[in-house]
Amino acid sequence: MSFFAPFCLPFMIGAAVMFVLLAWKWGSWLWRLPEADKRLVAKGIFTRATPEAVWETVRESLLHRRIFRIDPLLGYMHMSLAFGWFLLISVGWIETVAYLGLRYVPLQGHVFFKYFATGLPHKPAFDFVMDLLLLLVLSGVALAWFKRLRSRALGMRRTTRHVAGDRVALSALWFIFPARLAAESITCALYGGGSFLTGGLGAWLAAHVGVMPLMTAETVAWWFYSSCLGIFFVALPFSRYMHIFTEIPLIFLRRYRLRSGEKQSSYDHFQVEACSRCGICIDPCQLQSVLKIDTVQSVYFLRDRRYGMLRREVADNCLLCGRCAEKCPVGIDLNTLRVNSRDALRNVPDERRYDYFQGLDRSSGEGRVGYFAGCMTLLTPRTMQSMERIFEAAGERVWWADREGGVCCGRPLKLAGETDSARRMMRYNTELFRKHGITTLVTSCPICLRVFREDYALEGIEVLHHSEYILRLIREGRLPLGRTTERLAYHDPCELGRGSGIYEAPRAVIEAVGELVEPAHTREEALCCGSSLANTAIDDGQQVALARNVAEELDATGAGAIVTACPLCKKALGRGTATEVRDLSEVVAARIRPAAGRATK
Amino acid sequence: MAIEFGYTISKPRAIDIDRNNLRKSDEILREMPELQTCIGCGSCTAVCTAGNLTSFNFRRVHTLVRRGEYRGAYEEMNKCMLCGKCRLVCPRGINTRGVVLLLKRKLGDF
Amino acid sequence: MKKVIVIGGGAAGMQAALRLRARGVEPLVVERETETGGKLRGWHVLFPSFTPAGELLSELRRRVRESGIEVLTGATVTAIAPRRVTLSDGRCLACDAVVLATGFTLFDARIKEEYGYGIYDNVVTSADLERMFAQGRVAKADGTAPRRIAFLHCVGSRDEKVCQQHCSRVCCITGVKQAMELRRMFPAADVFNFYMDMRMFGPGYEELYREAQQRCNIHFVRGRISEASPTIDGRLQIKAEDTLTGRPLRMSVDMLVLLVGMRANDDNAALAASAGLARSASGFMAPRDLFLGRVSAPVEGIFYAGTVTAPKTLGETLDEATAAADAAAEYLKA
Repeated sequence: MSFFAPFCLPFMIGAAVMFVLLAWKWGSWLWRLPEADKRLVAKGIFTRATPEAVWETVRESLLHRRIFRIDPLLGYMHMSLAFGWFLLISVGWIETVAYLGLRYVPLQGHVFFKYFATGLPHKPAFDFVMDLLLLLVLSGVALAWFKRLRSRALGMRRTTRHVAGDRVALSALWFIFPARLAAESITCALYGGGSFLTGGLGAWLAAHVGVMPLMTAETVAWWFYSSCLGIFFVALPFSRYMHIFTEIPLIFLRRYRLRSGEKQSSYDHFQVEACSRCGICIDPCQLQSVLKIDTVQSVYFLRDRRYGMLRREVADNCLLCGRCAEKCPVGIDLNTLRVNSRDALRNVPDERRYDYFQGLDRSSGEGRVGYFAGCMTLLTPRTMQSMERIFEAAGERVWWADREGGVCCGRPLKLAGETDSARRMMRYNTELFRKHGITTLVTSCPICLRVFREDYALEGIEVLHHSEYILRLIREGRLPLGRTTERLAYHDPCELGRGSGIYEAPRAVIEAVGELVEPAHTREEALCCGSSLANTAIDDGQQVALARNVAEELDATGAGAIVTACPLCKKALGRGTATEVRDLSEVVAARIRPAAGRATK
Repeated sequence: MAIEFGYTISKPRAIDIDRNNLRKSDEILREMPELQTCIGCGSCTAVCTAGNLTSFNFRRVHTLVRRGEYRGAYEEMNKCMLCGKCRLVCPRGINTRGVVLLLKRKLGDF
Repeated sequence: MKKVIVIGGGAAGMQAALRLRARGVEPLVVERETETGGKLRGWHVLFPSFTPAGELLSELRRRVRESGIEVLTGATVTAIAPRRVTLSDGRCLACDAVVLATGFTLFDARIKEEYGYGIYDNVVTSADLERMFAQGRVAKADGTAPRRIAFLHCVGSRDEKVCQQHCSRVCCITGVKQAMELRRMFPAADVFNFYMDMRMFGPGYEELYREAQQRCNIHFVRGRISEASPTIDGRLQIKAEDTLTGRPLRMSVDMLVLLVGMRANDDNAALAASAGLARSASGFMAPRDLFLGRVSAPVEGIFYAGTVTAPKTLGETLDEATAAADAAAEYLKA
């Protein structure tokens, strides 16, 4: 058997182009990885990380477990396409071996085996399995067509608007499997074979169509099938379907602990091109659901960045709340990519702009515990006053880092993309903390907390959010509190919850003083207050609209007060509701049993 | 000399709107029309974390820029830490952090 | 006789009822509180003439009493229609027209947390200060006399951060009036007024402003206070930008007075919904026309008097109450 027919050419050329492009892309991305990343790969490759990555690839790239969690039907659609196609290829391979024994068969021989195998005796078991798999994939294609018309049925209110290249690839993909069905059925009609699907359709065709038209149709159908494949393969590296192959190395590299950072790096390519543009990130975005802004979501941001057409308006218009990243089926680190894009658009080397930090120290008091209020907390004096009472009641000696005004933590600047200048602030504050010899650093501001934990080098200094610190005091019995039956609705600040993974501490503290109630969206799903420092694009009215939307859910709990643990959230929510909004420290300070305060003095 | 920004008492200088080139200023206001709504209350400057430590005066700088006085504005704006307190207090709801970024982008070459 | 229900027994309501009675219509005043007088009860003396508010209040009350106008106190209105008013206890009162004179709500200064009202002693509102004047004793929390006092204008007015875009009109002149009273009470004290704009639009206002500057030596600083914080010696430190010099300013004071603005009543929304009335963006009721229908609602048979439509001075309120009553009387004649 020669395993060649002229119609194979489109497929062969397409596949060759695709493999060359893939090899080029992967090769250059890996080659350009920073040295440190390369070392991580070398270190991780012979560890448990590799088998774990293999298993994750099966779970996510083939079975799409995360999409199943979002919507079972959507998950089935992706699984039937990805896993079904994968099985068609691998079972097809086994089929070839079963027919011909272990011998070299060129690629097109496997792919178009039905065409070449007409002279061989049939193996009905394989015919049946292959027909079943084809049906599985076709059901996925049918669902994909249906999703174009009625996305809601698959759990998505909004779907992605695609670019032209994607549409070409998408159309080719949609026709690949119907074309395969037609081609194989016509061949079955002429030469017999096939099972319930191709065989059945073939028998029907044989009964209704003459041999000559069938012969012509066979050539046309195989040509069409091969062309669809060829077009799809050529388009793939330039389209969203690049994710099929990019997600796999991404999973391995992620397992080897490679991460994106505040500066763009070659690793980002794996993240950016692993986006399938499924659009699952669109629905969770409050800019979309509340403000009807529908051009800036992560899917569009990654698309624009990939094709080198990222505009500042898109990069800047994001709350970095992380609600989309929480839902991303590929697990792309969307916030970090957004930050390093802003860095690429905006960062200029620090030109001595903060020389005035030199010799600056406005701190006061003395103690092993340092308290960094944060710029915003200076505008919520009730929080400051409450923290002071809590420290006093617990008999804690405190060094006040910034009560008289200090230097910003640096995160706002980092979020805006001026990462070099942000480093300057981080260095300044680190030196200040070291100089005063603190061992614990408490902050009321989750924005500061996050940068202290992620970007500062504070070995030997334990960084705590005030919710964690207060909870510790309570558990150590240093802060006796009186409990009431007041119902308190808790709002998760983005930087504290999704950002720093602190969900339990504030809840435990609230439960120590009152009754905790939760809004409809809570914990990982919590809504953003809308005043996020990360967004420099939306205006005041839009911030209020977002705040009202969040406050509505909090008010719906019927709680007597709204409690949050971030000065910015507190200010923002207060604009959206008439209900009183309190910081966590306030509800605690109000419940300190007076006797305890005196006892420690 | 570029950093000196209008504080020299010895050299009084009128703002000459006839001579000043308002093209940049117009460009800035087209991108951020809300900057025109400033009523000059000074809240932004009063809370300013950087203004607490230096002579940086956000209100003054953006007002001068709106009059076509660009010299030194970029360097002044660079003192800003972008902490966002000003946006939290502005009674006109001006996106002050956006203004800082915009002015730096537009006036980098002055 | 035709019957008109006047909702609200403050200055506007009383004046409207008096005028209706004079025009031969039978008014019924429905007041939420246990007595008439409304916000006028909280004033000590009135700007710009320093007339005791009590004089005006007792005169209005005397006239209402002597005209035999029926007043229903302790009754809260939940819904209105041109010929029917519903109370919170379920009662329905029939009438031929309605005058809405429900006034305004004082801005809650605790919302502007950075000014420290409700957090620090010696941060008071203009309403608190007026009460102190009425009681004849102004003092710090520890009972001593303040030696340096700061007034802050526009608290809860012209501030989008608390969703109050409008100017409350009366705070500027109130700040001047109260500053002068404090200077008279404490001749040794320094008084500073922090303002954004001085809006001296009324008769005698500018003259009073000038007198405050020239005779009373009250300092006017153009800049909005951004924060108040406690000092170690129990005073308050305030921060602002002195915008006329372009430099940040900080000073410690013994007392900070917040000139709180006027806010639309929360129940305006429910009342408007019940009768199909429109509200302006600020939440106050929107009159039918800003020139020719200032005291009429868009719905026939409903009229507005006083600050239910926008912040107004007492004089303007009284004039408008007369106009609203006249409009209602004309409507009933037709």
